[in-house]
Amino acid sequence: MSEQKKTFVITRFDPDKDQAPRQQSYEVPVQPDWKVLDALNYIKDELDGSLSHRWSCRMAVCGSCGMMVNGKPSLTCKDAVADYGNRLEIAPLANFPIVRDLVVELEGFLEKLKSVKPYIVRAKERALAEGTHRQSPEQLEEFKQFSYCINCMLCYSACPVVANEPEFLGPAAIALGHRYNMDSRDQGQAQRNQVFRGEGTVFSCSYANECSEVCPKHVDPAAAVNQAKFNAVIDWLTGFVVSREGK
Amino acid sequence: MARPVHPHAMTPSRPGRTRTAPPQAPSGWYAQPRMLRYLLFDATGIVYLLVGFVALRVVWALGTGPERWQELQRQLANPLYVAFHALALICVVFVAVRFFSLFPKSQPAHIGPAKPPPQPLILAGLYAAWIAVTAVVVLILAGGIF
Repeated sequence: MSEQKKTFVITRFDPDKDQAPRQQSYEVPVQPDWKVLDALNYIKDELDGSLSHRWSCRMAVCGSCGMMVNGKPSLTCKDAVADYGNRLEIAPLANFPIVRDLVVELEGFLEKLKSVKPYIVRAKERALAEGTHRQSPEQLEEFKQFSYCINCMLCYSACPVVANEPEFLGPAAIALGHRYNMDSRDQGQAQRNQVFRGEGTVFSCSYANECSEVCPKHVDPAAAVNQAKFNAVIDWLTGFVVSREGK
Repeated sequence: MARPVHPHAMTPSRPGRTRTAPPQAPSGWYAQPRMLRYLLFDATGIVYLLVGFVALRVVWALGTGPERWQELQRQLANPLYVAFHALALICVVFVAVRFFSLFPKSQPAHIGPAKPPPQPLILAGLYAAWIAVTAVVVLILAGGIF
């Protein structure tokens, strides 16, 4: 296979030396079948060992290698170098504090994720002897799409609300909360809907739909957020007539 | 190149041990076609606000008397006013098409035992309702009804 030289302009930031992020260029002999991540690993292994970036599975499952490529959120193990021109600008995910080079601060995201209780909540755990919680294919279908999220955070980088409202829960966290709200085994809807009705949550979404456009797993978080709006309102209204005790 | 975003975007409630650079975004983000369409969608709100002022003027002229009403009609025939209303029509069509494309997937999976119809059917229903309402309005304006 013939290799071709391409220029990679990479955002660099060393918290011990740099006041602000800067850019550094590398000439990389890329192979035709390379993904963007392959080129970054080449730079790290062959050209500059000080480059920091996250990656793990190399097959669009772990969600670690999300970055901005030519100004767009991209899962770098999924996007081919051949799809870009001779110059690629690689930057850390937009809207996140930068820890080092292409590595962003995840703690803020994890806090938002925890706040929606992303697990099955039961009012009362059933005994093992009673067997498993059974679910029909139709019940599974109601939330299956939203369970494909790999927490790559590309949706946060694409969202104009995340860029301007720090308290906004954001697409992935709301989609995950909605995924559990739609799960027939879950009984934590009232708790999550209370979170969803708070400041900076589902109603802050202006439905730009960018999160769904950039999602590499076709989760469609924009649909989840806007369905969650409806459910949160219905839950609030039913709260006037139905007791929520035990939920 | 990058531009700054809100300095506290996606920051944790307690700062970590390492100094971080503030969050940023690509400088050309808002110039991308999809974002540009979204910004235009948002900007149509300004046109609707102005249409609201025109509507208030119409109501006020109606209440003031026939002379004031005829004078306003003359003003509304001005090419600038006609161009403004043509722009408002384009905005309404643009927003309606965008709203219709996003509305079907926003429907809840079910309301009690009832499930919404398939998304293409919802979309077809929205366009059918739009055409029906437009036809009724045109009939009223043409004097076909009332």
